[in-house]
Amino acid sequence: MHNQRTVADGLRLLTRAVVHVVLGGTALLAIATVASVLGPTLALDLYTPPVAAWWTVFTAVAVQGVPFLLLGTVVSAAIGAFVPERVFTRLLPRNQALAVPVAGAAGVVLPGCECASVPVAGSLMRRGVAPAAALAFLLSAPAINPVVLVATSIAFPGQPRMVLARLLASLGTAVVMGWLWARFGRDDWLRPPRTARDSHATGPRAFVTGLQHDFLHAGGFLVLGAAAAATFNIAVPRSVLDVFTGSAWTAVPLLAVLAVVLCVCSEADAFVAASLSAFPATARLAFMVVGPMVDLKLIALQAGTFGRRFALRFSSATWLVALSSSALVGWWLL
Amino acid sequence: MRRYGGPVLLCLVGAAALRITLFSELYLRYVQHALRPYLIVSGIALILLGVTTAVLRSRTADGEDGADGGSDEDGGSDEDGHGHHGHSHHGHHGAAGPRIAWLLTLPAFALLVFPPPALGSYSAGREAAQRAAQGVGAFPALPAGNPVELTLAEFSSRAIYDSGRSLTGRTVRMTGFVTHGSGGTWYLTRLMVTCCAADATTSKVEIRGEDAPPTDTWVTVTGTWHPKGRLGSDAAWPPVLDAGSAKTVKQPSDPYETP
Repeated sequence: MHNQRTVADGLRLLTRAVVHVVLGGTALLAIATVASVLGPTLALDLYTPPVAAWWTVFTAVAVQGVPFLLLGTVVSAAIGAFVPERVFTRLLPRNQALAVPVAGAAGVVLPGCECASVPVAGSLMRRGVAPAAALAFLLSAPAINPVVLVATSIAFPGQPRMVLARLLASLGTAVVMGWLWARFGRDDWLRPPRTARDSHATGPRAFVTGLQHDFLHAGGFLVLGAAAAATFNIAVPRSVLDVFTGSAWTAVPLLAVLAVVLCVCSEADAFVAASLSAFPATARLAFMVVGPMVDLKLIALQAGTFGRRFALRFSSATWLVALSSSALVGWWLL
Repeated sequence: MRRYGGPVLLCLVGAAALRITLFSELYLRYVQHALRPYLIVSGIALILLGVTTAVLRSRTADGEDGADGGSDEDGGSDEDGHGHHGHSHHGHHGAAGPRIAWLLTLPAFALLVFPPPALGSYSAGREAAQRAAQGVGAFPALPAGNPVELTLAEFSSRAIYDSGRSLTGRTVRMTGFVTHGSGGTWYLTRLMVTCCAADATTSKVEIRGEDAPPTDTWVTVTGTWHPKGRLGSDAAWPPVLDAGSAKTVKQPSDPYETP
């Protein structure tokens, strides 16, 4: 009796497997045949030079973002899993107005580009750091770390003022934005960043879980930003810019917009700025100050981490503050 | 798949990173060579992370009978009455990781199956070639060698800005791809990439005395500098080379110049 049922079950299973294999195999064969006949011609028709260039720029932005994103998520997961909250409350001044500049200056220690700083700022907030201070860190870290400053001095040989101007304008923007958030920011704009699990868990296991969640989450938004950057890169020829080079009034905002759409990594933007030689120095400074703080890739990452309502408000305010601060510092130093 | 989606994605991205760095030099089409070690480390770390997460997940499934997959639903229904709302809020943070993460399959599959080509004449033609920003001045002496190997960027800046005229009387050799200008002129062109292909800028040198190969052919040109225009002026640009020979070559493994 028992045996019979087992045999019957086995037979049923076997029949089902055979049916699945036959049906699935036929379908696969059909798809493969159609694809191999139509595929090459279709692919060649669609694979025009602009499309090929789009794919190259898209994968390039994604590829160069991956190591920095991983660094950022490792740091953020480590903060989440191993650093107790009291460390930050002890390190940062209780007074928000003082904590903001301290956090902004602390941006010097994270040697990465902007992809790394978003997850780190998110985990700082989870660990109880005041949002204003965490946001100042978010803005200053990719702009004033030593790697970026050295790259700037290489790109502008013999112009140490450019490096100084970049440092001051970026730090100024970060601190002003932190203060603005402390004064006018509303916590309900900010979706509290959360991991899939209990955010109070600690230890190695929480580290692994937090790391895989943060990386996948931010990675998805990095891909989204890369697609936007590639689209603008292909759709807007840089020769369009030559029309606006003459007057500082148009040149400075124009390069600030260009920094948003080009999404050049903060470690490379100085070289791009140096190559825009037709523009006045202040406009190139604005390009380097805005780029690490506001660009399409970053807006996508921030929308993913802190919510869309936050990302739009914060990015537009940052753009304005960065523009004014670089205009001011440029007028003073350059 | 819901349970193991996250680990699979991590391994996929890791494998793509290793495929273009460890098993080929394809990464040079996208980023500059200094990024290679970081990409290799990232690739290995991502695969390890994927495997670790998969092991953790399977253990949770054995030990706690699927508590893992159900945790989100539980979290939602804890808030009595708001259960449904809570669930939809957490919805995109399932056990397989956030849904947006599936976008990562696009670049990963592109790199694994069909790596996009290096940028070429299309990108070079779209941007007015940029001149490096610098003033006229004396450059250090050229290295010895006849012909002397130069990058297009180096040749251009010496041709336009070198008051010491270090190119005079030297035979130089440069490699790049072919682009065409108006009226039968052609250029030896190369893109310069600082960090990734998104920041590519163009250098080009007009070639005289040799017939133009088809667009995008890679050639090595040997010749001498043909001075033109006043130093540092627009008329000096693009620089000109009187070619002695132009030889078709294979695309170099690093298709770009680095500063």
